[in-house]
Amino acid sequence: MAMFSKILVANRGEIAVRVLQTLQAMGIATVAVYSDPDANAPHVALADEAYSLVGSTAEETYLDRGKIIELALQCGAEAVHPGYGFLAENPAFSSDCAAAGLVFIGPSPATIELLGDKIRSKEAAVGAGVPVVPSSATWLPGDSPPDALVAQIDLPLLVKAAAGGGGRGMRIVERAEDLAQALESASREASSAFGDGRVFLERYIPAARHVEFQVLADSSGKTLHLLERECSVQRRYQKIVEETPSPALKNDELRQSMAASAVAMAQSAGYTNVGTVEFLVDAQTGEYYFLEMNARIQVEHPITEETLKLDMVEWQTRIAAGELITLSQDDIQSTGHALECRIYAEDPYSNFAPSVGRLLSWRPPSGMGIRLDSGVAEGQEITAYYDSMLAKLVAWGPDRQSAIGRMLRALETFPVLGVTTNISFLLRALAHPEFVGGDYDTGFIAKHPDLTATPDSGQLQAAAVEIAEGFWQANGSNTVRRETGAVQDTQGPWQGLSKSVFP
Amino acid sequence: MTTRRLQQVQPPQADSEAVVFDGAFDVVVSSPGRWEGKISLADGRTVSFLAQRAGQEVHLWIAGESYVFIPPTPVARSQKAGQAASDDIVCPVPGVVIAVHVAADDVVEAGQDLVIIESMKTEQIVKSPRQGTVQRVSVQEGDRVDRGMRLVVLVPLSKE
Repeated sequence: MAMFSKILVANRGEIAVRVLQTLQAMGIATVAVYSDPDANAPHVALADEAYSLVGSTAEETYLDRGKIIELALQCGAEAVHPGYGFLAENPAFSSDCAAAGLVFIGPSPATIELLGDKIRSKEAAVGAGVPVVPSSATWLPGDSPPDALVAQIDLPLLVKAAAGGGGRGMRIVERAEDLAQALESASREASSAFGDGRVFLERYIPAARHVEFQVLADSSGKTLHLLERECSVQRRYQKIVEETPSPALKNDELRQSMAASAVAMAQSAGYTNVGTVEFLVDAQTGEYYFLEMNARIQVEHPITEETLKLDMVEWQTRIAAGELITLSQDDIQSTGHALECRIYAEDPYSNFAPSVGRLLSWRPPSGMGIRLDSGVAEGQEITAYYDSMLAKLVAWGPDRQSAIGRMLRALETFPVLGVTTNISFLLRALAHPEFVGGDYDTGFIAKHPDLTATPDSGQLQAAAVEIAEGFWQANGSNTVRRETGAVQDTQGPWQGLSKSVFP
Repeated sequence: MTTRRLQQVQPPQADSEAVVFDGAFDVVVSSPGRWEGKISLADGRTVSFLAQRAGQEVHLWIAGESYVFIPPTPVARSQKAGQAASDDIVCPVPGVVIAVHVAADDVVEAGQDLVIIESMKTEQIVKSPRQGTVQRVSVQEGDRVDRGMRLVVLVPLSKE
């Protein structure tokens, strides 16, 4: 099968830009699609052709399967790259593409469907001899009392939604008497979030680390692993900082064993293209358990690319075009250390509340080993319609310490104005002794409330006030102000707030 | 990112030691509404900053932290001084003027629509805060406006 000549990218933001760049480097004509608020977004400007999806919400634009397939057919695209999120793991979209004669760049609809079901994917893992967290049968309101279930799992335990994700329909239960209520409320939440109220119990691992393995599989069944990524720095079950290699895998034996499990899982799911097998590692015992397999390119794929020096989007495209993997497992040798920080438009000191507004300044840092995957540009309006991730800052260094040093320097020299970001929080998190020591788990942020407390930076603030006052004197006047009779010339704009007000 | 609004910063406690800035800063690049430069901190560090004006706000980035300063508005100032409210009716949001419902010399009632601004796909109606006479209208349909810009000058009804 020949390489595609034109591909439509059914996504937005940094991943759309990321995919378009590789496709263009491969000499493939590119097509972008966009919503009304994204009409001036970088992915639209970058693509060779761009078409409006007409509408603002995700449902009426990037999630509209019919519109996207119709545009792909009209413009003569041969394949669709879904990115992550939106339609990336939607089996109906994947089969709609096939029915329309388009190649979906990802695994088959059957594989996506299998991996999207927590219960079925866990059964597949067990079948492949992959360790799983002990769990119970599913439960629905109206089923027999949960005593029979709890006998199967020790406390503390986790109530989880069978169709779950993103922490919804999830409860930690520490006392047996709290179980009935947790089951009822988790089921209600799962039912409204996913239209499926089935819940089950799972053993809760308190000091867990989240470690995932990248896999690469072609249509002949050849499956390689591309080593691991450590993703334990999380807030509200969402990753913020990732790194590779994982400081949790202290010996190569554990790494090889997890890698073999990842490959076995992918093969048992009939996986083709790039995918990720997620595991929980018990920091206390060193045991690991299969969590889920993601049938898409992951947000954090760049750290794998930087340490292995390969382009994952290029491999996705080649595999989808029917090419076989020319690499062997021995070719997969990691060099140095890479970190990724997700730059979110959010206020880390107000419970990570999303922030919107116009990006007045956006000045990406540069330097040795620094990469920024960004989907925004200066002057762009950041709206509340989509995810609040603006960009991903990646730092590579010959070792972990140098990678952290490069990342800190890059974060310090990344001015963003107009929208609140988590950059100052990332600076504090990466400088924290527990992170520097590599000895953190998924409870890292919750365990250290000082990280999310409003910083007390008296010195910086005093300097900031000084600059702001000088700046306003030089730049604060405008015609409106001068015409305003009510404002006396002798009354400066900072009147009423003398310098002594500021500590 | 830290967002501090000037009006909300509290005076220091009597017994706390105040940090008073006594260094100097250099503006390296200056363009209308934008400064880039360096500043020396009390601890000897020299850090970069970037200041930018957006309407009546000063956005400032300094050494990885960000601040938003909002100078007191004429209304806030005159109220603070115990005077009558300002004559200026200012724009509450950045956007585009899509309708002007009053003209100079009109007498308006409290709550009457003055100007409609479109911002983030929603309409914001600026209403008159009190009864008065429109002395002048500073904007027209289609104008781009920023937060804090004057829209209308409203003076008390003339006594006859």
